[in-house]
Amino acid sequence: MAAAFQTIQTNKPSKPTNLLTNLSTVIELKDIERYYQNGALKSYILRYVNTRITEGEFVSIMGPSGSGKSTLLHILGMLDEPTAGEYWFLDEAVHKFNERRRTELYQQYIGFVFQAYHLIDDLTVYENLETPLLYKKVPGAERKSRIADLLDRFNMVAKKDLFPHQLSGGQQQLVGVARALIGRPKLILADEPTGNLQSAQAKEIMEIFQKLNEEDGVTIIQVTHSEENARYGKRILHLKDGRVENEELLPRKVSAV
Amino acid sequence: MLQNYLLLALRTLRKNRVYAAINIFGLAIGVAACLLLFRLVHYELSFNQQNRNYDRIVRVVTQVKSDSEEEGFNPGVPLPAQDAMQTSVTQFAAFARIHQNWPTITVPDAPGSMLGRKFNTDERREAGVFAEPAFFKIFDFTWLAGDAETALGQPNSVVLNEDMAKKCFGSWQAAVGKTVVMDNLVTLVVRGVVADQPPNSDFPFHVIVNYETVKKHADAYNYNPGWGSISSNDQAFALLNSSDQFAAAEAQVSTIGKKEYGGRRTVKVNHLQRLADLHFDDRFGSPGVYSIPKSRLTVLSAIGLLILAMACFNFINLATAQAAGRAREVGVRKTLGSSRGQLIRQFMSETTVIVLAAVAIGSALAVLLAPQLKHISDVPDSMAFLSDPMVMLFLAGLIVVVSVVSGAYPAFVLAGFQPARALKNDLSTRSVGGVSLRKILVVAQFVIAQALIVGTLVVMSQMDFIRKKDLGFQPALAYTVIGISSDSSSLQRLETFKQKLLQLPGVEAVSFGSDVPSSSNNWSSNFALGRGSEDASFSTELKFVDADYFKTYGLRVVAGRSMYPSDTIREIVVNQSMLRKLGITNPEEALTKELRLGGGNWHQVVGVVEDFHQHSVHKPITPLILSTRKDYYGTAGVRIRPENMAATIAGIQQNFESTFPEQVYTGEFLDESIANFYRDEQRFSAMCRGFAGLAILISCLGLFGLASHMASQRTKEIGVRKVLGASVGSITGLLARDFIKLVVIAIVIASPIAWWGMHKWLEDFIYHIDIPWWIFLTAGALAVAIAFLTVSFQSIKAALMDPVKSLRSE
Repeated sequence: MAAAFQTIQTNKPSKPTNLLTNLSTVIELKDIERYYQNGALKSYILRYVNTRITEGEFVSIMGPSGSGKSTLLHILGMLDEPTAGEYWFLDEAVHKFNERRRTELYQQYIGFVFQAYHLIDDLTVYENLETPLLYKKVPGAERKSRIADLLDRFNMVAKKDLFPHQLSGGQQQLVGVARALIGRPKLILADEPTGNLQSAQAKEIMEIFQKLNEEDGVTIIQVTHSEENARYGKRILHLKDGRVENEELLPRKVSAV
Repeated sequence: MLQNYLLLALRTLRKNRVYAAINIFGLAIGVAACLLLFRLVHYELSFNQQNRNYDRIVRVVTQVKSDSEEEGFNPGVPLPAQDAMQTSVTQFAAFARIHQNWPTITVPDAPGSMLGRKFNTDERREAGVFAEPAFFKIFDFTWLAGDAETALGQPNSVVLNEDMAKKCFGSWQAAVGKTVVMDNLVTLVVRGVVADQPPNSDFPFHVIVNYETVKKHADAYNYNPGWGSISSNDQAFALLNSSDQFAAAEAQVSTIGKKEYGGRRTVKVNHLQRLADLHFDDRFGSPGVYSIPKSRLTVLSAIGLLILAMACFNFINLATAQAAGRAREVGVRKTLGSSRGQLIRQFMSETTVIVLAAVAIGSALAVLLAPQLKHISDVPDSMAFLSDPMVMLFLAGLIVVVSVVSGAYPAFVLAGFQPARALKNDLSTRSVGGVSLRKILVVAQFVIAQALIVGTLVVMSQMDFIRKKDLGFQPALAYTVIGISSDSSSLQRLETFKQKLLQLPGVEAVSFGSDVPSSSNNWSSNFALGRGSEDASFSTELKFVDADYFKTYGLRVVAGRSMYPSDTIREIVVNQSMLRKLGITNPEEALTKELRLGGGNWHQVVGVVEDFHQHSVHKPITPLILSTRKDYYGTAGVRIRPENMAATIAGIQQNFESTFPEQVYTGEFLDESIANFYRDEQRFSAMCRGFAGLAILISCLGLFGLASHMASQRTKEIGVRKVLGASVGSITGLLARDFIKLVVIAIVIASPIAWWGMHKWLEDFIYHIDIPWWIFLTAGALAVAIAFLTVSFQSIKAALMDPVKSLRSE
């Protein structure tokens, strides 16, 4: 994961890039920094990260090991806190959030997909999908129909009573994606969603993401190692040594196969 | 949501079976122990509460202050003082005198006959009483037949309880109007029947006789109406107008007898005792069977709570140790929108499932073990247990308290995890807060266990010391027949009885006396030694015994000889303690003197007997004289041969019954009745053993769980060490060392606490052991050995693991 390193450079922060001004801003980062205090030295993992992500974007974060991309995603997902800088989410100051507001956002707005799937081992596929709805206090009948919907969409109806360890990695990640979608989030944060998968399975997941983004307008931010997967998105943030090295705007692809 | 929590809880428990089993079993033991002790304490506290006027009832008691002897407390009140109270204390709504006795009841075969079916009083749960009708205004008895006024208002009438009526006449209905004879002396007509008192009553009267009757037989019942005489049999109860008048009534009562009690050396004063205190004040005792000090109940409650706490500690330890393994789940759930509160509820419901299971098993265990309570208490088997509403309430409280105590901390720890670190699995057991807490809890458990082991060893050594102590006579093989009537016709038959017994092949010697050598009876008198001297500043105890007493019980004479046979006081033998207290160093010197008891005649001292314990070893050996006087003989002592004891004892009974057909036979071995002095200590010892065992078991369960968890946490480390060439022994030692260290710390903390506690306990005995140092060593070694065995099972298992496997699994 993100290996700490020490910066010698102290460049001026770059201005946030704003490419799609006509859409509302979901996320805005201003001079985000994350460091570990190590005696008198600060080990920086992120330094002067500035960016803005608008509704309906599909952003890939790329970079070599230790560039801070996972840390950045964790900060975006409010799983980790920046040591300095400002983070605005829907024009609210995340750095001033309390746990309650964060929980509300998880319930209403954000879905997570993890490299290691992170399904709950003791729950069946069905129950894994149901859990976010329980936290959201969605009524029983609606829960049933939503889960049935998703199972159908992902061709997993037959697997609904299996436990995660009875599924292949690709199937587990499908459940992981379905679980992220079940709460109808506006933003999906994916941390190397295909990192543990074979390429065919990876392709399937990425196509789902692309479809979601294009047809349902869901904003997606993914961290990935793979140039190929990154190309499913519309924009790539290249991270190096904790800084945004450059941004790459991708031409619109013709919709999936 | 709740359904989801429960389902999840069950799945988690199924997955972690060992963990669940250790927790449930440990808690179940704690719950069972707690429940049993609650039953015991609750039972004792419930005494006499069945009386509607519980708060308003008082007993009058007497305190005797003396400058030369210890302060005395007596539940009895001099009869003239009772009379004065009845008329002068305005706060009394009712006042009643009783005179206790333990009668023999005869249902005569024919009118006027002394022969018939006989029933003795079982002193362990029955008592007889002469009572005024007002007694039943104060206390609640259920009248099956008759009522207090008419049944007890006329002389020679008796009221039986249901049990006694059934024993005598088959049914209580049949008893009414019948005639019985009490103590072969008083003919009484049954004019009423009351329902039996519940077992938790200090008034288990089975024969209640009109009070005027005792006055007619004052001599036979030692009814002595003087200001100078206090008998614990003459007690007085009163009902206050209202419970807040206690202080006022007490003030009035304490003024009574100021003039009349007089006395140069002693001051007597009367006090009131609330019914609520009656069962718990050892100084005055209970008119029923026994009293128990509140401090004992406190100790019992404390032990129950400690055992339960130990079980909760296990739970907390295992739950926090396991927490690291569940960190990822917490992280995921948080990203799925779970609030901290929801997570806490989830983990709490898991705890609650465990606690419910533990309480169910614990209750079953308690019901199974309840009959064993008789070894440490007087709780009757027959009483409702789990169905008792108080017990149910206690169980409900227990569930809530244990769930919160053991579940809250782990739940907060778990729910507080930072999701980012939790998801990265960056949390090891060591970094999860509570390593030091776990250590503290383990140490606390072993402090309790260690203290209980030391306590048990000390109690056992002291009991052994008592058992092996030379009492100054030979209690083994001494069989006694007690309670022989001392009326003139019985006295005439004593010699016949003796001759008959001596013909039995198994009998070596027979002797009569007022008492056995060692008993709880206490009969004393003032005395003077040396013709013409003044009374000594202390009194002497008395035993009147025949010439064969020394031979029968194996008393040892250090100077002179034992008394020659006589039916009256003629010669006197004194003990060494008396000489010591009088400052006489040469026992031969005493043989030149004469002794006078009370205001009686002077009699020659003919011997000095070696000190023997005339009471339990709680009490010191005090001055004593032995002399002859036939009309006080009520006890026969028989030294028997070890062969064919059963036949010998049967022979003794047969001969007693043929010689004294009108009397009831009661025989017992002297060593058994002596062992009865130590009933409390034996119970305490049994309790210590039981609860020390439980404490060790619970601590070891916890240790086992922690050790297995540690071993699995360090699988990789062990693999690496093995690859580097570590031996199985060194790895076992490595894993065991951490735990043994905690146990050793616990021993260091527990030893002084245990020493102090047991030192206090031993102070109750005049003759006691010094706590030997080896007890601490033994207890410590035992704790370390048990802990090592517990831990090493897991450690060896871990050390034997194939490193290839353990390294690959990471």
